[in-house]
Amino acid sequence: MKATIEDPMVSEWSASLQGVSKTYKHFQLRDINLQLQSGTVVGLIGPNGAGKSTTMRILMGLVNPDSGTVSVFGKPVSSSEGSVKKDIGYFSDDMRLYKPESIGWHMQFVRSLYASWDDTYAKELLDRFGLIERQTIKGLSHGQRVKAMLLLILARKPKLLVLDEPTNGLDPVAKHEILAELMKVVQDETRTILYSSHNTQDVEQISDVITFIDRGQVIASSNRDDFLEGWKRIKLHVQDDWKAPHIPGLKLESEFRNLRVFSCNSVEDDLAARLSASGAVIEAMEPMTLEEIFVSTVIRGREENKS
Amino acid sequence: MNMHAIQILFLKDLFLSRRYLFGYLVGGIASAAITCLPNPTLNFIGFLLIMTVAIAAGIHMIGMLLLAESTDQTRMFVMSMPVSLLDYSLGKISVVLTTYLIPWSTMLAFCVIATFVVPGAKHGSVVVLPAIFLFLLCGFMIQLVTAVVSESVGWTICVMVGCNVLLNVFLMKFFENPAIVAARKSESVIWDPVVLQLLGVECLVIVAALVAAVFFQTRKRDLI
Repeated sequence: MKATIEDPMVSEWSASLQGVSKTYKHFQLRDINLQLQSGTVVGLIGPNGAGKSTTMRILMGLVNPDSGTVSVFGKPVSSSEGSVKKDIGYFSDDMRLYKPESIGWHMQFVRSLYASWDDTYAKELLDRFGLIERQTIKGLSHGQRVKAMLLLILARKPKLLVLDEPTNGLDPVAKHEILAELMKVVQDETRTILYSSHNTQDVEQISDVITFIDRGQVIASSNRDDFLEGWKRIKLHVQDDWKAPHIPGLKLESEFRNLRVFSCNSVEDDLAARLSASGAVIEAMEPMTLEEIFVSTVIRGREENKS
Repeated sequence: MNMHAIQILFLKDLFLSRRYLFGYLVGGIASAAITCLPNPTLNFIGFLLIMTVAIAAGIHMIGMLLLAESTDQTRMFVMSMPVSLLDYSLGKISVVLTTYLIPWSTMLAFCVIATFVVPGAKHGSVVVLPAIFLFLLCGFMIQLVTAVVSESVGWTICVMVGCNVLLNVFLMKFFENPAIVAARKSESVIWDPVVLQLLGVECLVIVAALVAAVFFQTRKRDLI
C-alpha cells in the first residue's frame, strides 16, 4: 500500500521511501512506500514492533535498506552521505545525550555543526520548557531529557522533523508542553513532520495524514479527516434468523443476543437504507475514534493475511 | 568527506575524555619519574607502572570513546546530525588514537630524556625504549581493530589479555637478546640490526592495524 495523499497544490515531496525492505533475524520490513508532502504532518501509527522506528532510521540513513530507494529533498539518503541530514531533525526515544555534560554544552556542540542554529529561539525554548542551561543531563528527568533533545532539534530549524515516539512515557503536562510546541512548528507550512506513536490521541491532534503500519507493512494511509469520516460503528437490532447483507467494508465486531455491532470502513450514502432493507433496525451509527479505527484496521489486516 | 564535521567530532570526544586523559598523563609522568630514582627496585616499579598506565589508558579510551557510544545510545544522537559514516569513523579512530598517543608519547619522551640526563644511566639503553613502546602501541592498535570489528567489550578485553601475555613473553625474550644486553650496557647509542628489524616489524603491524580499523569501520552499513 502506498502512503501518499495527492494534493495538486503541492508538488514537492520532502521525503520518499519507495519499495523499501529490510530483513532482520526476527523481523522484516516489507515494501514500504511512504511519501511525505512538504508542509504536511504525517502520523505513523503502529503497535510496538510494527516497524515504525526501523522505517524512520532508514529515512535518516542510520540503517541501510536491503532494497528500495530513500530520498530526502530530492537527494538520495545513505549512511555514506551526511549533508542530506542537515535539513532533518530526528528524535528517537532510544537516543541519549552525554550524561556528564550540560544542556549548554550540547547546545554549543549542535550549534557548531549547524549554520541554521537560532540562538534566540533556543533561549526561548529553554525558558518555555523550564530547562536550565548549566544543568547536566545526568540530573534530568525523562520529561526534561525529551525536552532538551527537542530543543536541540528545533533550534536548528530543520525543514523535516522525524519524531519517533517523542511523547512516550511523558506525564500529561510534559506531553502537553511538547505537543503545544510542535503545534507551533506545524503552523510554519513549509515544514514537514513525520511523527510516530502508538498513542493515537497524540497523532490525531497534530497530523494531516495518518499511516498505519503493522508487522513491517503499511496497512492503510489516508487524510485524517477521511479516516474519521470514512469509518462508522453501527449498532443493529436484528432477528434471530437475520443474515448480514454483503456490504464492502462491513465487519462484525461483537454480538450480544439480538444486538450486533459492526464497523464499516467505506461508508456510502445508501448504507443505512441497505441495512434497513435487510431487516435490521439501526440503533446507532456513530463515528469511531482513531484508536478504534487503528485497532480495527490492524485486526482486519491480520485476518486478511491469515486467510 | 566533511573535514569540519570530523574536526568537531574529534574535539567533542577529546573534551569528553579530558579528565581521564589528564589522569593518564599525570600517572604516566609520575611513573616515568619513578624510573629515574637511584634505586633498582624503584626503577623496576616505575617501569611496571609505565606498562600499567599504557595498557589501562588504551583499553579505557577504546571502551569509553568507541564502545560506550553504542551501549550508551549516544551514537544515534551524533549520527542524526549531518555526519557521514566516513566522517564519524575517521573522527572516532583519530581521537581514540590521539588520546592514547598523548600519555604514550609523553612517557616515551620522558624516558628518553631521562636516559641522557639521569646520572649513571647508560645512553645506549635508549634504543630499548622505542622497541618496548612500539610494542605497547601494537597491542593497542590490535585492540582498536578488535573493538571496531566486533563492537564488543568482551572480545576487546579478551584480545587485551592476549596482548598482555604476549608483552610479557616479548619482554622476556627481548631482554635475553645479546644485542639488547650489549646496548643496555653501552655508553654510546648503537642501533643494532636486531633492534631496527624489530622496529620495522612493529611499525608495519601498527600501519596494518590502522588501515584495517579504517577499512572495517567504513565498510559498516548500519551503525545503529
